[in-house]
Amino acid sequence: MTTRPRVSIALPTGALLPGALRTLSRSGLARLGAEELGRQLLVERPGLRVILVRPADVPAYVDQGAADLGIVGKDVLWESPGSHYELVDLRFGACRLVLAVSNSSKLDGRQTWPPLIRVATKYPRTTASWFEAHGQSVEIVRLHGSVELAPQVGLVDAIVDLTATGRTLRENKLRVVAELDASTARLIANQASLKTRSDAVQSVVTRLREAAAGAP
Amino acid sequence: MPGFRDLLPLEAEILRDAQESLLAEMRRHGYRHVITPLVESMDVLELGLGAEARRRLYKFTDAHGEVVALVGERTIPVARLAAGKLRGAALPLRLCYAGPVLSTEAGRFQQRRETYQVGAELIGAAGPVADAEVIALAARCLEATGIRNYQIDVGHAEFFHGIMDAFKLPDAVKNAVRAALAARDFVALEQLLEKTPLKSAEHELLLRFPALRGGREILEAAGGLVRNRRSETALTELGKVSDILAAHGIGEVVHLDLGAIRDFDYYTGVIFEGYGPDFGRPVAQGGRYDGLLARFGRPAAATGFVVQLDLVSEMLTRAARARSLPRLDAAVAWSGSGLATALRLGSTLRLFGMRAVVDTEARAEREAKGWWRAVGAANLVHCRTESSVSWSARGRRTQRLPPEQVAARLAGGSA
Repeated sequence: MTTRPRVSIALPTGALLPGALRTLSRSGLARLGAEELGRQLLVERPGLRVILVRPADVPAYVDQGAADLGIVGKDVLWESPGSHYELVDLRFGACRLVLAVSNSSKLDGRQTWPPLIRVATKYPRTTASWFEAHGQSVEIVRLHGSVELAPQVGLVDAIVDLTATGRTLRENKLRVVAELDASTARLIANQASLKTRSDAVQSVVTRLREAAAGAP
Repeated sequence: MPGFRDLLPLEAEILRDAQESLLAEMRRHGYRHVITPLVESMDVLELGLGAEARRRLYKFTDAHGEVVALVGERTIPVARLAAGKLRGAALPLRLCYAGPVLSTEAGRFQQRRETYQVGAELIGAAGPVADAEVIALAARCLEATGIRNYQIDVGHAEFFHGIMDAFKLPDAVKNAVRAALAARDFVALEQLLEKTPLKSAEHELLLRFPALRGGREILEAAGGLVRNRRSETALTELGKVSDILAAHGIGEVVHLDLGAIRDFDYYTGVIFEGYGPDFGRPVAQGGRYDGLLARFGRPAAATGFVVQLDLVSEMLTRAARARSLPRLDAAVAWSGSGLATALRLGSTLRLFGMRAVVDTEARAEREAKGWWRAVGAANLVHCRTESSVSWSARGRRTQRLPPEQVAARLAGGSA
């Protein structure tokens, strides 16, 4: 009854792409070079269609059913919860969401925060709910890039941003005062795909799960 | 306005046809049509809705200062009817309805705040025969709209409740487990369960939730893993429903889905979802909600479902990409003393079931051809006098005939 036997998976451009391709390759589903995929954006393999989209767009492709599966950082899912199933922690692309202030700032632990703290971030939703849970009033300035700059020029008291190694923070003379959450790459699935084409989709999910579990 | 949209003739007609097919199918199964208002008192809606659903209602006050809302679904108004004005009607009651529902937030599936729903409720009947009746009706309804390759996933709310009951875990952890499942976040679920000291077969079941689907065999498989009465009863009931659905003749399209994740607090028994082909979201949803009617003062078992009419219509619109708006059958033009003839001819054609438009102004035959093209009808009939009209059809020579003959020819040819 299916008219689309092939399973499609959306991969994110950027930092998670190498890990996503390694996982695919280890699962034996498809051996793809970043270069080939980057050139074509859509690659067909027997039983598998791989598409390359911007990280923040992966949930849209999966929620709408344009892709059965998607690989995406948990940080993207924090900000755009959707109707997909989050199935597997793929364990690569680990990073932390941290509250950071400039080295010269007096701010440190919870007791040093002002009654209203101004925070710049690309993650307004997650930031707001974390401060809410800590009973702290917060004014969020939503930025789209170079968040590290904001405290240095006096735009805000602190930033909430993602960091893997902490290098960017150090280079910008920022120090971490709290950790809000941790992120890794996740495998997400369209709700209907799991039901209407479950055998094909589940078999891909199982292979990716095993590949992630067996990763060094 | 974001979240609201106009439906132009092609879409609007497909949607209306689909709605009619759905209601007609429900009526054939003995469900009586009711129409409830778009506005309900908050006092009524609060009896059936959780905090989250209440927050999403468009609320305002009426002239007396009473808080009212635009309905966000129509099962609650139907329950109000069944326990109120229809209190004297014998159970079981079979009711169906159609209409728009509103939400202040665009849905998870559609960026729309106004959607159309057609639903059916079977009130006052418990047990697998009633469950199966409603599921079979849902299947027949999807079929009646012209959707092909649909499937219905049937699960049971009690299966999950039984597992949760059996867990010896602090309430905080149980709530976190429910929240993770409601968000369909199996990674968080896994992390939660890893931290708990218990490692049971039921842990395993929860982790495999989205994969717990298939045919009859999964009931046996799951039966070997659960150790609690509630879940076992749920599996037995599902088995019975599955047998009855086979007798209904829809065994082929039914899958059992023990991992169905739906509104845990609302549903009390068998639940189901209908999916169309290559469409990333369910087009029909329903299940047993035995708790609702009691809140309106008439305790009764109840089950029902709703079809998302917008989605059905979208599916049909896409399937019929080549299909254009159904053409008009006849454009009836007139000049001189031909108006009365034109009007009479129009009525006759409509009597034969054809779509006919009569011109609003007099036009000579030559100009009428331009009008005919603009209207886009299959035939042009031009009436000049009471006794003589000329009939043109695409690719045919214009003929001059008496009016009765034109009507007869048109009805015979294109009807």
